[in-house]
Formats: sequence, structure tokens, C-alpha cells
Amino acid sequence: MEKLAKILVVVLILLVAAVPLLGQQIIAQPETIELRARMPENGGWSQEFIYGLVNVPIKLRMTSDDVVHSFALAQSSLPSVEIFPGKFSETELVFDQPGEYTFYCTRWCGANHWRMRGTIVIEGPASSDQPTSVPPLFLQLGLDLDAPHFARVIPSNRPESARASERTNALPDGLTDGENIWSKSPEALWKDLKADEDLDDQSVWDMVAWGLNQQGSSGWMGQGRELYTQNCLACHSESGRGDGVMVRDLPPMNHDKMGSEATRPPDFSDPAVLLGASPALLEGKIIRGGMGTGMPYWGNIFTSEQIRSLVLYLYSFQMELEERP
Amino acid sequence: MEKAALYHFDLTRYAWLRRLLTSRWPQFILRAITLAGFVLVILTGFIGSPVGSRNFAVMFVWIAWWSALKLIMLPFGGRAWCSICPIPMPGEWLQQGWLVKPGGKMFNLGLRWPRRLRNTWLQSAGFAAIGLFSALTLTTPVVTAWIFVGLIVVAVAVSVIFEQRSFCRYLCPMGGFIGLYATMAPLELRPQPGLTPVEKGAAAREWPRGCPWINNPAALKANANCGLCLECLRTESGANMALNVRSFDAELGQPGAFRLDEAFLSLGLLGSVMIYSAVFQGPWGALKNAALNAGSGAWWSFAAFFLLASFGLLPALLAGASALVRRTGNLAQPLQMVFTLFSRALLPLGLLSWIAFTVSFAFGKLAYLWPVLSDPFGWGWNLFGTASVEWQPYLLSATPVIETVLLVTGLIWSGRTILKTAEQLGVRGERRWAAAPVLLFALAGTLTMLWLLIG
Amino acid sequence: MTLPKFISILAKPILGLTLAVLALTAPLSLPPTQPVERYFRIEASQFAYSPGVLQVNPGDQVTIDLVATDVVHGIYIDNYELQASADPGQTARLTFTADQAGLFRFRCLVPCGQLHPFMLGKLQVGPNQLFLRAVLLSLAGLLLVLWKKPLSTISI
Repeated sequence: MEKLAKILVVVLILLVAAVPLLGQQIIAQPETIELRARMPENGGWSQEFIYGLVNVPIKLRMTSDDVVHSFALAQSSLPSVEIFPGKFSETELVFDQPGEYTFYCTRWCGANHWRMRGTIVIEGPASSDQPTSVPPLFLQLGLDLDAPHFARVIPSNRPESARASERTNALPDGLTDGENIWSKSPEALWKDLKADEDLDDQSVWDMVAWGLNQQGSSGWMGQGRELYTQNCLACHSESGRGDGVMVRDLPPMNHDKMGSEATRPPDFSDPAVLLGASPALLEGKIIRGGMGTGMPYWGNIFTSEQIRSLVLYLYSFQMELEERP
Repeated sequence: MEKAALYHFDLTRYAWLRRLLTSRWPQFILRAITLAGFVLVILTGFIGSPVGSRNFAVMFVWIAWWSALKLIMLPFGGRAWCSICPIPMPGEWLQQGWLVKPGGKMFNLGLRWPRRLRNTWLQSAGFAAIGLFSALTLTTPVVTAWIFVGLIVVAVAVSVIFEQRSFCRYLCPMGGFIGLYATMAPLELRPQPGLTPVEKGAAAREWPRGCPWINNPAALKANANCGLCLECLRTESGANMALNVRSFDAELGQPGAFRLDEAFLSLGLLGSVMIYSAVFQGPWGALKNAALNAGSGAWWSFAAFFLLASFGLLPALLAGASALVRRTGNLAQPLQMVFTLFSRALLPLGLLSWIAFTVSFAFGKLAYLWPVLSDPFGWGWNLFGTASVEWQPYLLSATPVIETVLLVTGLIWSGRTILKTAEQLGVRGERRWAAAPVLLFALAGTLTMLWLLIG
Repeated sequence: MTLPKFISILAKPILGLTLAVLALTAPLSLPPTQPVERYFRIEASQFAYSPGVLQVNPGDQVTIDLVATDVVHGIYIDNYELQASADPGQTARLTFTADQAGLFRFRCLVPCGQLHPFMLGKLQVGPNQLFLRAVLLSLAGLLLVLWKKPLSTISI
């Protein structure tokens, strides 16, 4: 009798202990990499480096240990994969070129959300020539990203690209030269045009808006808005005032004390801020980050096309721009 | 004896039921199963998902077991859980070397529990400690697992050093809670009425190691310290013992002594349920975060408030009310006696507050259980096809009414008991209004709970 | 114990229970208030809504803007079964007519960390009738106790 009882207890306990062991054996998929997402304060991605080979699929099985996260591959058109606490999401990635690819979290998971970045290292033979990369314009021009850049000439009304396009035949050539537009601030562009054209101030501002608008590729505004909403708005806020939920308790930006403490980003609703910044400068700021505000760098996350859409979208805080068909 | 309280019905008068209870096997099998569940809780807690709502340990212990204990086992079975609790099993086996067949002695110093600690103070402290860390424990699987490991280790150590089930009776933090409220359970293990002194003596001597819960079964009058282990039924003179169904008020309706430590436990539990309600059901986020972030400054304030309110403020208020009753009622009894008896009279309010809190809590959280049943470790399994059942609250419209009825029932029951106690103390007839301060205390307690749960 | 006696013991509690439930749930039509538009901006953070208690009148047109300030949060209003989720900084809007009177809890619907299951607030539509009735019922219960004949004949 006593022996039977002891056997029963031992068998039941072994049975319970066997559940996880057996279960894991049955469920385990040898090819799959488990990636756990945690808030950066709790450790961020469980693996900062994932190694793979060219043209060999990488299977990821992802879960979150705390809040909602999302997995996305930088500079890629693959949709991001939502990761919910305690649930599992799977995705499969194939790379046809060796190199280092950045993966990152796209759902804000606290003030340090942007730190959730990792690298996928792919080894193997390159199948074709890599396109040689051109250094971004801000480097070519040698711009100082941290210098103050406040515009002194401010339009009395909001510039509208649509108003200028009504006079398409009268638009000067300088407005179709991409490099000219990207390297000059709207204020500088306005001064150039004002010197050449015999037009009232507001019409020249409308032409500046039209010129910037011409730089967008098709669908730029939607793309820019989406990128801004997903990545920028938590700090720069819906209104662009720079008082987003993650930074509103920080002191406002101050160029004299730059770098001494994290501050709020500049106020995009202030015309002096954006109209004094050239597209190349904004592009540089997005690529490099920093500026003493604690802004993350996005150069390895977005494609150059995405960054250009985003830059133009920023100007829409000061101008009426139009989506291009 | 008060007349209304005389209702008793001996279940063991049915021979088959007595045989079932006398056999150690049914109880042993239940305990073996709960022991396996216990091991599963520890395993899932340590190696399962750290997300509480996706982990068997947290969901099973704090939603399923904790709710079932307060909604069913405790109010209807008293210490019924204690009779199938697995925590003392390993220690008992080490102590005595048997699981179902009584036998010898293995590792046991057999010391008696220190006299100064033969009370519920340590149990109060343990329950308060659980309360202080409740927000963390209820949501963190690994903390739950550590608590369970800790309970087992302490239970084994106590079993080896001290006699019998000293752990259950004097140390187990749940034991204090269950024992106190078991006073109102409609189930009791008692000697048969009308035993001769010889028979009573026989019952006391019969059991070689005595009652595991260190009682004299033949003199058993209260539920608090009887663990329903049923061992006394299994002795030679087991026929002298009976398992009775009784009215809820059978024990509380009778005058009974109440120690100071029990009085503080009674009020501490009443304070605890108010704070649990505020933390878990209230709209105050700062309070939740204070309770969660153990060790932070806010948590220390929370802890101080918890302890001062439960074990300081409530006892002080009731002591004040008791002093008023004593003065206006011209009572001769010492204040401590008046205070402890009124604390006892507040037991129904405490129990029904706990039940109401559980009703408000359990039905809203019940739906978290289904995914965990299919995926106990939170590893993405789907054993029974319920892994992706989405959360939804149950009985939303009915629960506030049920909570109200429960709380008002607690008030009426406590109110009756307070008046009865006052009468027994000598506040009678025209002077029965002198009991008003304590009645107001009970009313204030009820209104506080109502405000926290449905206000 | 005989069956009639058993019934007679149970009769009082059952009668009391029925009366109590009736007193708590019987519909009572209050004079209608002039519906107005109500706007709330609720900030959600781990694990709190701010403000955590919303008060409106039946018939009011309610707009709730939910703004998460740390991680993704959501909102689910009991009984109304309305829901929304908000990424940090992105305002999510709920618009509805408060056509059910009473007290309702709203809860976070997006797992947001340890205390997520306990992140909640309250929406009170009109006076909290149940609570007021519960207070009256408590007083009535206490009076009932006092009104009874002496309960005990024992002295201790």
C-alpha cells in the first residue's frame, strides 16, 4: 500500500516535470531563431546580432516579455511584424547580398524605444556588384548640422504650392534644379528668386513651396506622414511643436547649452525654424541624429527616398504642399 | 447554547461516507494531485513566460485557486483546502516516513512549538507580507514560484524540527486567514454529542502521535485550529467523532473567547481587503505603481500605510468604539475583552468583504485562464485549442449587484453578532443603543468596501 | 429536520434576498438632463489613466481622446463594449452617446506590462444609483438588526 502511494506520487511529479521537456522536444524547430523583445530598460532584443548566409532563409520566432513591440527590417519594404506579450509571431527573411542589415522596433515602447535596434550579419558571396553609395548632400556641402539656422524673412501668409502652379508658365528655371533646391533653405531660395523676379513677397513664397513640392516622388506625402507618425511624433508631437509625450518634461532647446542636457526638439510650427533649414540640412539631421537633443540616428533605418519624403513632409508644417499623382 | 444555532447534521451517520472519509486513499489521491499541481506551478513560474497573464503559475494560483478558495472552499468548507493542501506533504513524509499508512518516525526532533508563538501573530505577519508584495506576486510568475519554494522549504524545516503540523497551525500565512474565517463555515469536525468522560479520554489517548494539528479531538469546540485532516476519524475510537453540517452561524452565534492576536488578525484582514480593493479595482494608477515597485520610496509609503491602516488605525478605531460601549453601557469587563469580542463579531464583515472583492475581481479576469490551460508555459502551445481565446469580462452587469448583496449580508450578520455580543456583555434592553459605536464601525467598513467596489 | 421546517428556515433569507435585489435593480426613471457634448483627453501610462474617473449624464455625446505617453495602451469600456488603442503620442478617439446609465469600468486592452490586467478607470453616467441604493440598503439592514428582539439571553 505505502509503496503504491510512493509510486503514485513519484509518477505524478515525473509526469508534470516531463510536460515541459517533452513539449519542448515536440514543439522545437531546430532551424528557428527565438527572438524575445523587451523594453530597452529590460534588455531590449534578446539577440543584438543574428547571423545568416546569403540566400538561406532565416526563420524568426518572436515574442514580447512586456509590452507591444514590432519587428521591422531597416531600408526595406517588408511590412513590420507585430509582437505581443506572451504571443508568438513568426517571419522568414532571405537576403541575396552579404552585409549587415539593421532590424528595429517600430512600436514606441517607452522613451528609449529607438534603442531597440539589432544587426543581421549575412555572409557569403556577393551575387552582383553593389551600387556604389553616394555620400549624402550634407556631407558634400560640409554643412554644420548643429549651427543655429533661424530664418529672418518670414512670409505673412502660409505659402501654397497650388497658387504658384496656377502660373506654371511664369515659373523660373531655378525652381526645377534639384540640387539648387536641396542645398538652399527656403529663405535663401526666396531671396534668390526675389532678386530675379518682379513679384510680390507672397507670390515668391508660393513659388518656393511649389519648387519644394516638385522634389517629391509620387506618393511622397503619404509616405512622409506615415514615417513621421510612426517614428517622429512621439517626440516632435502631432502638431510639430516638439512637445511630444516622450519629451514634454524636458527643457526647451537652447543652442548655447547644446549637448549639456537632453532637450525638447525645435518647434516646427515656428516659421523661423524650418524656413531657415535647407532640405540637405534636415536630411543630415535625420541621418545623423544628435543635435544635443538626444534624437536618434535614422541613416541606417530609412532609405534615402524615405528620408527625402520625410524632409518634404516636415515643410508641410509651414507650407501647403500637395500630394503628387 | 443559543437556540437558533443548534442545527447540526452528522454526515458520518451514513456508513458509506464514513468509510470514504476513514480510508486515507481518496484524500491521499487528491493531495497527490495538488502536489503535482504545486510542482507544475513552480516549474511554470521558473521556466515559463515572464508575462503573468500567459503563465500558468500566476493564473492558476492567483485567479483560479485563490478565487475558488475564497468563493467556495472557505465559505462552505472552512479548512477544506487544508485537508488537501500539498505544502506539508514532503515535510510530513520526512517527519514520519509514510504517505498513507501510519508508521514510524524518520527525521524529527519533535520539539513543541515555542509557547510564546502559539498564536496567530506570525501568520498575521506572513499574510501582511504577502499583501505588501501582492502587486508584484500577482503579476510575476517567478516571484510566485519563489514564494512556493519558500513555503515548501520552511514547511519541511519546521516539520523536521517541530512536532506534527506545527507549520500549518502556527506559521502558514494562508492558515491564519483560512482558520479565522473557518469559524463561519457550515462544516465541522467534532466529538459526538454526549460522550462519556471515559470515551473522551479514550479519544484523546488513542492516536499514537496525537492529532496532527495538535488538538484534543474529544474537546474540539472551534474550527479555527482543526485542519480537517480527518485523522481522528481513523482511530480506534473514530466512531466518537463526527463530521457535521451546521448552520453558518453555529459557532459565531455562540459566545466564544477570542485572543488579542486573533482580534488583530481579524481587523488586519479587514484592512487588507480594503487595500487590495483599492490597489486592484480602484482607478488610482499611482497607488498601483507604488504597490508594484517594491523597494522604491513610493512602495515604502504604501507599505507603511498598509500596515498602519490595517494593524494600527482599524484596531485603534475599534478600541475607541469598544471603550465608548464600555462606558455608556456601564460594563465591568476589561476593555481588552470587549475589544476582542467585537473584533470577533466583525468576522462576517471581513469574510464577505473578501468574497465581494473576489467576485469583483475573478469574473473580470476569468477569461485569462483559458489560454493558459492550453499553453501553461506561455511557449506558444495549444493543447486544448483555447490558446487564442481573447480576453472578455464575464457577468459584468450582475457582479456589482452580487457584491452589494454580499456586503450588506456581511453587515447584517456582523450587526446581529455585535448586538448579540453586546447583550452578552450586559448591554441589554433600553441600553442596547450603547452598542451603536461598534455598529457604526461596521457600517463605515461596509460603506468603504461599497465605495471601493461599486462607488 | 422536517422539510417544512427547512423551508421555514430558508424562507426569510430568500425573501430578504429577493427584496434586496429588487431594491437594487428596480428601474427608476430620473428626470432627463439636457444632453451636452463632453470632451475628455485621457492620458494613459503604465498603469494609470489620467483622469481615471469620468462623469457624464445620460444622453451626453461623449468624445474621449486617448493619448498613450509611454507604451502602446488601449481602452475598453465595460458594457458599452467600445474599444480603441493608441500608440504613444498618436491620439485615438472614441465618440459615443452615453445611453447606458450607471458606473462602468474601463480597462486597458493592449498588454502594457505587469499590472496591465489591473489598469482601469471609471465612467460614471448619471448618478451612481446602485451605490446610493446600496448605502440605503445598508442603513435599512442595520435598522432591521436593531429593531429585532433581544438576540441573546446569555451573559458572559
